[in-house]
Amino acid sequence: MTTLSRVASKSVSYVTLVVIAIIGVFPIAYLFLLSTKRRIDIGDVPPSLKIEWSVVVENYKEVLFERSYISSTINTLIITSVVVVLSLIIGTPAAYTLSRLKIKGSERISTTILSLRFMPPVAVAVPILLSMRFLHVANTRIGLIIPYVAFSLPLVIWILIGFFDEIPTEIDEAAEIDGANKWRTLLQVLLPLVRPGIVVAGIFAAIFIWNEFLIGMYVIDSEALKTVPIADAGLISAQRPIDWNVAATVGVVTLIPLLIGSMAIQKHIVQGITAGAVK
Amino acid sequence: MGNYKEILSDKVFWSSILVTGVMVGVALIVEVVAGVSLAIFFGQKLRGSKFVRAILITPMILNPVVVGLMWRALLNPQWGLFNWFIGVFGVDNPPIWLSDPKWTLWTLIFVDVWQWTPFIFVVVFARYQALPMDVFESARVDGASPLKIIRYITLPLVSSAVVFAAIFRGIDSFRTFDLVYGLTFGGPGRSTTTLSFYSFENGFVYYRYGFASALSYIMVIMATIGFSVLLKWIPVRRSH
Repeated sequence: MTTLSRVASKSVSYVTLVVIAIIGVFPIAYLFLLSTKRRIDIGDVPPSLKIEWSVVVENYKEVLFERSYISSTINTLIITSVVVVLSLIIGTPAAYTLSRLKIKGSERISTTILSLRFMPPVAVAVPILLSMRFLHVANTRIGLIIPYVAFSLPLVIWILIGFFDEIPTEIDEAAEIDGANKWRTLLQVLLPLVRPGIVVAGIFAAIFIWNEFLIGMYVIDSEALKTVPIADAGLISAQRPIDWNVAATVGVVTLIPLLIGSMAIQKHIVQGITAGAVK
Repeated sequence: MGNYKEILSDKVFWSSILVTGVMVGVALIVEVVAGVSLAIFFGQKLRGSKFVRAILITPMILNPVVVGLMWRALLNPQWGLFNWFIGVFGVDNPPIWLSDPKWTLWTLIFVDVWQWTPFIFVVVFARYQALPMDVFESARVDGASPLKIIRYITLPLVSSAVVFAAIFRGIDSFRTFDLVYGLTFGGPGRSTTTLSFYSFENGFVYYRYGFASALSYIMVIMATIGFSVLLKWIPVRRSH
């Protein structure tokens, strides 16, 4: 009897698992499928699973070259990597300081930093555009990199504070006794210990930048400098009805770099989040 | 000052507050409940669950504009696969999800839940994984039922992670704009115009910068008040 009910509950669990997988993957699979269709075939319900390669090539050629998604993707890659690296370089010492050094009001400073995340991008888009014009970097990559770093920092600092808080202060003290100053303690002793945190913070910053388009729409005018999300948003503001096969192809092109990236770092995500969770 | 007066007597402003409130409230509750349940479910470590976990995390890395477009295709009244799918299970005459103002806000909430439940799940699951397993073992040996273990051991232990995830999600939900942009563009009528989207529309579509900025300031004030109240009640960062 008990084995029977155990088998029953196991199978219920597995059915649930399959349902979860379907709910997660079904919409994305549909997107892939639509991107292989001619415009006139979009209306078929259910869509046929037969894939004509010539149509696929046509759709992707249009998106990658005519809509210049290749250059948008390269742009986004450049901007994302620079922003992630800069935010980590600035954010790590900041988090260390807020976690370790006894600065008056550090608690208040860290909550103020977190509250910056409350700022709706809509609220600051115009001021950012004006500041970037003032600095003569509007409509350049630097003009996007500066605000993106500013937007990523609160998250990066907050994630890293959590990780630094987890490391027992005895480790710092031991390093100090051995004659290391604060910088050496941070760089040689603590940095390896918070590495999972750095990975997680970097990933979250990258996801945010890869998808940001509001600030981008304000700051970037020229076609050649557009990032992927800015180009995506252009699909909608067009006054004519949406070509769904092209829209789906755009969707696939947008998400593929992220999918590859997240698969490559899957191990780190789980490891990093697990380590940070000890908090 | 004129802008603020105009805002306060603006019907759309008040309706967008309501829309934002309903959306943040309902979506957050569903996401937290679903995310925590998923975390506990995946704690069983079934075979193949690693793979499903990877799938499950995917929605949250997608560009919300693309997610909006994707669901617009799925929910298309003529050829969307979603209606076909529920038709298989016997649901005929489904509502026109994205055109009937009675349904649009719920559709928006549904898509938000689809995309962001994984976020709550990831954060809570990570904490759950890091819990010392012997606590659960000894409870089981003492004869506690699985439900009791969840209620009296698991939930209290992961509660701080839940709070952390919920606060971050709540903040982002309050600012939701890109999903609305991709899915409904605030319509039909004003049924899905959130505060953030209304501000964007005024600034970027109608070029009423003054009005848009005033609106944004009101959002910042609301957020700041909400945030300070939250911090009073819930310590985000454990003091050490």
